[in-house]
Amino acid sequence: MTEICFATREIGSLAKPPWRVKSFAGRPLEESDVAEAQRWGKRLEVDGHERLVELLRRGEFRSAELTEVDDWAARYAIALLERAGLDVVYDGEQRRTEMYDHVARHARGFEERGTVRSFDNKYYSKAAVVERPSVEGPQDVEEFRFVAENTDRRVKVPLTGAYTMVDWSYDEHYAREGALGGSAARRHEARRAFVQDVASNVIRPNVEGLVAAGADWIQIDEPAAATRPDEVALVVEGFNLATRGIEATKSMHICFSDYSALWPDVLELDDCLELQLEFANRDARDLGTRDEDRPGYVETLRLFREHGYPNVGLGVLDIHSDFVEPAELVRDRVLYAVDVLGDPERIQVNPDCGLRTRTWDVVYEKLANMVEGTRLAERVLNRAHAAPTMS
Amino acid sequence: VAGGGIDVKAFAPGIYPRSEALVQATRDLERGRTTAEAVDEQFRRDTAELRRVQEEAGLDLLSDGLLRWQDIFRPLAEAAEGLAARPLTRFLDTNTFYRAVLVEGEPRLRRPLPAPDLPVGRWLATLPSPLAFSLAAQRAVPTQSLAANVLAPQIEGYADAGCALVVLSEPFLARSAAALPELLTGLAELPRPVPIALQLVFGDAGPLLGQLAEAPVDAIGVDFYATEIDAVVEGFPKELHAGVVDVRSSAVEDVREIREFADRVSARVANEVSIVPNGDLQFVPERIARRKLAVLGEARSPLKEAA
Repeated sequence: MTEICFATREIGSLAKPPWRVKSFAGRPLEESDVAEAQRWGKRLEVDGHERLVELLRRGEFRSAELTEVDDWAARYAIALLERAGLDVVYDGEQRRTEMYDHVARHARGFEERGTVRSFDNKYYSKAAVVERPSVEGPQDVEEFRFVAENTDRRVKVPLTGAYTMVDWSYDEHYAREGALGGSAARRHEARRAFVQDVASNVIRPNVEGLVAAGADWIQIDEPAAATRPDEVALVVEGFNLATRGIEATKSMHICFSDYSALWPDVLELDDCLELQLEFANRDARDLGTRDEDRPGYVETLRLFREHGYPNVGLGVLDIHSDFVEPAELVRDRVLYAVDVLGDPERIQVNPDCGLRTRTWDVVYEKLANMVEGTRLAERVLNRAHAAPTMS
Repeated sequence: VAGGGIDVKAFAPGIYPRSEALVQATRDLERGRTTAEAVDEQFRRDTAELRRVQEEAGLDLLSDGLLRWQDIFRPLAEAAEGLAARPLTRFLDTNTFYRAVLVEGEPRLRRPLPAPDLPVGRWLATLPSPLAFSLAAQRAVPTQSLAANVLAPQIEGYADAGCALVVLSEPFLARSAAALPELLTGLAELPRPVPIALQLVFGDAGPLLGQLAEAPVDAIGVDFYATEIDAVVEGFPKELHAGVVDVRSSAVEDVREIREFADRVSARVANEVSIVPNGDLQFVPERIARRKLAVLGEARSPLKEAA
């Protein structure tokens, strides 16, 4: 029998190092920022990191120097993920402002409207669509090429999905007239036209460009997927329009939602390897592999088992907490998922979501434990399969 | 019965957005670049400015905008024995999150949350509906228990402090119509020392209005960006809070369109009509929210024909 082996991956964003933030913001760097670059350069064994330290010490950041700083931030992020032991990596979205803003700024048809709160003291910039959106060409090809040239691990490219772009935008174009007291059918058609245009004219050109450049795994991020349960079919339509016929592995990430709203619509996702979901956020922290030990997993995994499609990207790290999950807790979460689904081949392992709200020290420890816990689970499962059975 | 020629009342329940200055202050605090005292001072400036904007708009009741509330449940969860807040959960229909309510024992409000510093008899308060509260707690505690032991003492506390209206925000019912009996049971536990309104946020209230006409509350709030006007039956007996300002749109509403729509609603309702936003204004940036408040105030009076 083939050995059970789970791929470990990140989801997307990491925090930007202070030296990257300050140099782009035009704020003076302090010695502690430079020391941070030195510390992580050594710890992650980033080749030539002394050049970054020199660059930061000089403290003069024109366009060429900022490009260098961006490259170093990407190298550091890739190295962090590699040294933590992940099998699949990207660059922690170091060059992107934020998942929504990154796309809205590049596309025509969006205008910024201001800041709104997401939760606690976290905010995001929100734009309005004011005309039919489009792009002149793929957005992230250079970013991907840099990652591919700087790692020997498999690369997964995260892209914000069409539905999330629509749901997080104000609509001053498609639903401009007759909204007050209007019919549900009219509202739905306006939303659908918006999703179709973003998927076909904004996201798909990027996917095509990335795959032509050699990308073989595209992750469509749709955190808004279950925001309106009656619109999950639009999420699916957006995914299919953006990726149908593209020769690459395709998957979708969703988080912090009521996942029961996803089925049966997600059965219509075209050639989607898996849904990478957040689970750990809602789970207990004690060890154990019984239903009552794993309240964050039980209901959603049953949906995966019941419907049989797609596979699951199992979130095992709570990205909103500095609590470092012990490897044994990760192990038990994986073992529990295998037990519920009955098929380890339907499971891969990742954090709940991007880790940008945590420090790199915490991220490193969490990811390293995620990898160690996954390997522990593999050993348990492979031992069990290897053991002679009594009948 | 109101027609086209009389004033309607206007006010804005719910969480109001923070100004760009307050956004920056809270961000700076998290990054260690400012002090808690400086952030407190900015909160006070935002609160005072919100009061000024509402008064200038001519709104009938004032709100403190719940500017310090991280979400509609958390201050109550933190002020009650037996409750705590932890897992981050996405609100339906928005890119906004709340901390789900963890139930660790029999819930009981230790003491009511402090009332805002607003003129007696001229302010409104916003609280979660008992059903919303229970759903946020994954129904780990009965709706009646949250209503009787947490919401009821809070309503009494606000009433004692001069509150004129309590609005119960209900974001889930329009998508969970089967939970209506549970909501009604919870509402029955609430005292009514001041008028109580139930505001259905972001959802088609049409299928529910018939039964809500009998609910033990004084007014029903309807989102008219999700509900067709024909859903309001002729002679609807309760006071109606018409959600005519869309808090999910950056486009600022047209005063004439709102006023004419309010007149059409008034013609169908046997009781008073007030005009309100269809949810929390926090879903638009503050500079847009203040323009929407101005429109709301302008639309409360009959249109003046151009000379």
